[in-house]
Amino acid sequence: MDAQMLIGVAQAMLIGILLIVCLNLYLIFRLKDLDPFAKWDPNAVNGALLLLFIIAGLPAAFLSSMAWSKEMVMTYNAASEHGQVIDNMFWWTMAVAVFVTVLTNILLFYFSWKYRYREGQKALYYPHNNRIEVLWTVVPAIVLTALVLRGVIVWNDVTGPAPDNALNIELNGKQFAWTARYPGSDLEFGETSVFLINEAKGNSLGFNLDDKRGFDDLVVSELVIPVNTDIELKIRSRDVLHSATLMHFRVKMDAVPGMTTRFHFKPTITTADMRLQTGNDAFEYEMSCQQICGGGHWNMRLPVRVVTMEEYKAWLAQQKTFIASYRELNPEKPAAPAPATQETPAPDQTASAQTVVH
Amino acid sequence: MADTLAHAHHDTHQDHGHGGHDHGHHHHTETFWTKYVFSQDHKTIAKQFLITGIIMAILGIGMSSLFRLQLAYPDMKFWILEALLGSKWAPEGQLSPDFYLALVTMHGTFMVFFVLTAGLSGTFSNFLIPLQLGARDMASGFINMLSYWFFFVSSVLMIISLFVSGGPASAGWTIYPPLSALPQAMPGSGAGMTLWLISMAIFIASSLMGSINYITTVLNLRTEGMSLLRMPLTIWAFFLTAIIGVLSFPVLFSAALLLTFDRLLGTSFFLSDIFIGGEALHYQGGSPILFQHLFWFLGHPEVYIVLLPALGISSEVISVNSRKPIFGYQAMIVSMVGIAFLSFIVWAHHMFVTGMHPFLGTVFMLFTLVIAVPSAVKAFNYITTLWRGNIRFTPAMLFAIGLVSFFITGGITGIFLGNAALDIPLHDTYFVTAHFHLVMGSASAFGFFAGIYHWYPKLFGRMMNPRLGYIHFWLTFVSLYLVFFPMHFMGLGGVARHYYDQSAFAFMSVFADLEIFITVAAILGAVSQFIFLGNFFWNIFFGVKAPANPWEANTLEWTTPRLPGHGNWEGAIPHVYRWPYDYSKPGVKKDYLPQHIPDEEVEYEDGFPRPAGVPDHDHGHTIKVEEVKKDNH
Repeated sequence: MDAQMLIGVAQAMLIGILLIVCLNLYLIFRLKDLDPFAKWDPNAVNGALLLLFIIAGLPAAFLSSMAWSKEMVMTYNAASEHGQVIDNMFWWTMAVAVFVTVLTNILLFYFSWKYRYREGQKALYYPHNNRIEVLWTVVPAIVLTALVLRGVIVWNDVTGPAPDNALNIELNGKQFAWTARYPGSDLEFGETSVFLINEAKGNSLGFNLDDKRGFDDLVVSELVIPVNTDIELKIRSRDVLHSATLMHFRVKMDAVPGMTTRFHFKPTITTADMRLQTGNDAFEYEMSCQQICGGGHWNMRLPVRVVTMEEYKAWLAQQKTFIASYRELNPEKPAAPAPATQETPAPDQTASAQTVVH
Repeated sequence: MADTLAHAHHDTHQDHGHGGHDHGHHHHTETFWTKYVFSQDHKTIAKQFLITGIIMAILGIGMSSLFRLQLAYPDMKFWILEALLGSKWAPEGQLSPDFYLALVTMHGTFMVFFVLTAGLSGTFSNFLIPLQLGARDMASGFINMLSYWFFFVSSVLMIISLFVSGGPASAGWTIYPPLSALPQAMPGSGAGMTLWLISMAIFIASSLMGSINYITTVLNLRTEGMSLLRMPLTIWAFFLTAIIGVLSFPVLFSAALLLTFDRLLGTSFFLSDIFIGGEALHYQGGSPILFQHLFWFLGHPEVYIVLLPALGISSEVISVNSRKPIFGYQAMIVSMVGIAFLSFIVWAHHMFVTGMHPFLGTVFMLFTLVIAVPSAVKAFNYITTLWRGNIRFTPAMLFAIGLVSFFITGGITGIFLGNAALDIPLHDTYFVTAHFHLVMGSASAFGFFAGIYHWYPKLFGRMMNPRLGYIHFWLTFVSLYLVFFPMHFMGLGGVARHYYDQSAFAFMSVFADLEIFITVAAILGAVSQFIFLGNFFWNIFFGVKAPANPWEANTLEWTTPRLPGHGNWEGAIPHVYRWPYDYSKPGVKKDYLPQHIPDEEVEYEDGFPRPAGVPDHDHGHTIKVEEVKKDNH
């Protein structure tokens, strides 16, 4: 469909609606005797339409879900260990939800049609029945208890601490881009502070140049992770809220300025394997921002690659460390501590100590 | 329809009043200003809320149509966008990303606060509380008037904010800082946001004045015999809504105030460690998550502030038009009280993945899924009320049935989102959009429509055209499902909310065709509201005059004159002898038994023994189906 079609459809609808309305108004105000609708019993017509709605609506809902299901990431194999558990829980919840929704909607529309007004029919005076009411309080309560207990277990599992040998990667959000920081060979991140950020000098994370642990950190604009390895994401933002979302891995956590959030996961399917599974040679994992963050919110994309450990190590070896790229950009004064670059005097520099991340 | 309208039973028993002397006519000189503008009459104030709400709804729905065009056709240019928004926000008919967010934000703000909070509660709480309880007016007519005019000023300010140079607030209706706090972060966070905060502060004052009045009136001004357990469920819903509002809106006020301090005075309640616009800002030690706690402490109860009145209205409408007592009257009250209470301890389920401590997630997940139980009870009770009824499909009844369907279909997805583990993939996707637009947006809007169609005869003394009502219902009902049901698919596909264009991500761009489908359905839905508008405004002046009790209902508002004057009843206030849901009572001649008919005046079928003693407590003991069956045949 293109825009012309939309405009066409909209115009046709508009004309159709106007015609119906005009016809109605005409019939109501001028020609009551000729009104073909006057003989229609509104109770019969609306009752029948309600029944028709559910008879046509349920297959339509089912078929459209099927038709779109292969486009939904939730129907893919989750590409992480905890994702499999979440998906399992998701489908159980889906079974309950579909059962309840279909059943109650059918009853709602069927009863509406079945008990439509008829001359001489008397409604049943039936104000309450404690036994039924207790039953349908207790049954949902039990089902929900089962779901929630499972939910609590999964949630605690997912949010629990990462193993000690997990690979730490820091995700940094800003308007409107992500970068990933790897700790380098010393496995430790260098200190950073928003007060030390200097974009012109290529210090966009605000590395403290006195902290040598940061020299071998890698700052890249893609996320490359080894498969079957515990990954501990440290998530940060330097301006507004963002949300690091890796839909294929069932990972999502907000990036909050002033604090570091975290998410631990273990990818299980490499990009190459996922291409085979989906039959899509161009398949790429992607990280998006899912917390409204301004005009470029829709375009905060970070490409993600899951590779084997060997490929990961090879990739790592090719990357330039922070200090190497910094020196390239600022050749004359290699390791000079970067002064606070802006006029903001930052009256008590002790403040920056609170913001430091190790 | 004709036969339901034809009955003009003159039920107004004004002469049986016991000792109530006439307070009905207050003949002070009324000018145009005191009668129509600065009126202290609850009925006029209700109409003022209604008309203002409708205007805000037209704007809110109109905005959604504009951004739906962008979502369906991110690369297209529409002359209408440039014509409406100007070349700054839609150069050459291409919506700018900033103004897209502004439209989304203002759509949410208008619909949630101005239409479904003030419009819905303001209209029907004001109109029905005195009329259904047998009161001359609200406890304080003056504060009631102030409540409307504060609302009016806040609406005007919010509309003005659409036209300031940076555009209106654009950080989403939840206005999370730092985005909403820093003008450097987006143009809408400048003057537009300041006006948003001022407007909301005034709105909150209006809401509090209204709510205090509703609570006081319900507690103190019920007519003789109107015990709490004889109140219609509408009144129970408005009463509980008002209590929720009084307890939660002040917290939003505090959040707005602290945010204003951060913006204007440089405090750091919600801000820390920010580098934006090429410089590091001085803010230290604040927490954006604190704001989210304060916001959602209102924000979640707000969902029920929006929903409960709609549920109350549908309870009444479904019972009247099924010609059956509402099933489980007391269970309905207990459910609403339960929902009202629980609504205060579930707020952080909006924040599972915002960096809040995961233990809190566990706690809030438990409470959240508990709230599904009273909601399920309500849905089952509605369905049972329809069972073996004699259903009259008035437009109001259709909207009430539609509400129940939306309430079920939209509510059920709450058990996904309320589960913290499942919320990880689904949070901030279209799944959430689908969920709350169905359960809160569509259901409440249908409650609003049901209320308007049902009480229009009492509001304006004339009838709406039922046939246009049917067309309106079917177009709206079908189009809303066509809009919001497919959004679940996109949510399960991970499509993020608030995206100006989904083509940047491969897994989101596959839904481009579906976006077009949704836009077509949304525009169909928006266009069909003109049928309602025409029907509504035309019949205020030219409609068929309404009979005294067009739906043959039991409640007190139908005992007033066709257009009640100030004070509502010309004679004494009617007394109440029973609960409001005696429809199709066995042995009683008519299929309804109004609350104000004394027991000795009830007409029984021939041969039916007049019950000895007071038959009032019938709803207090179970009537077995078998007994009733016997009675019926």
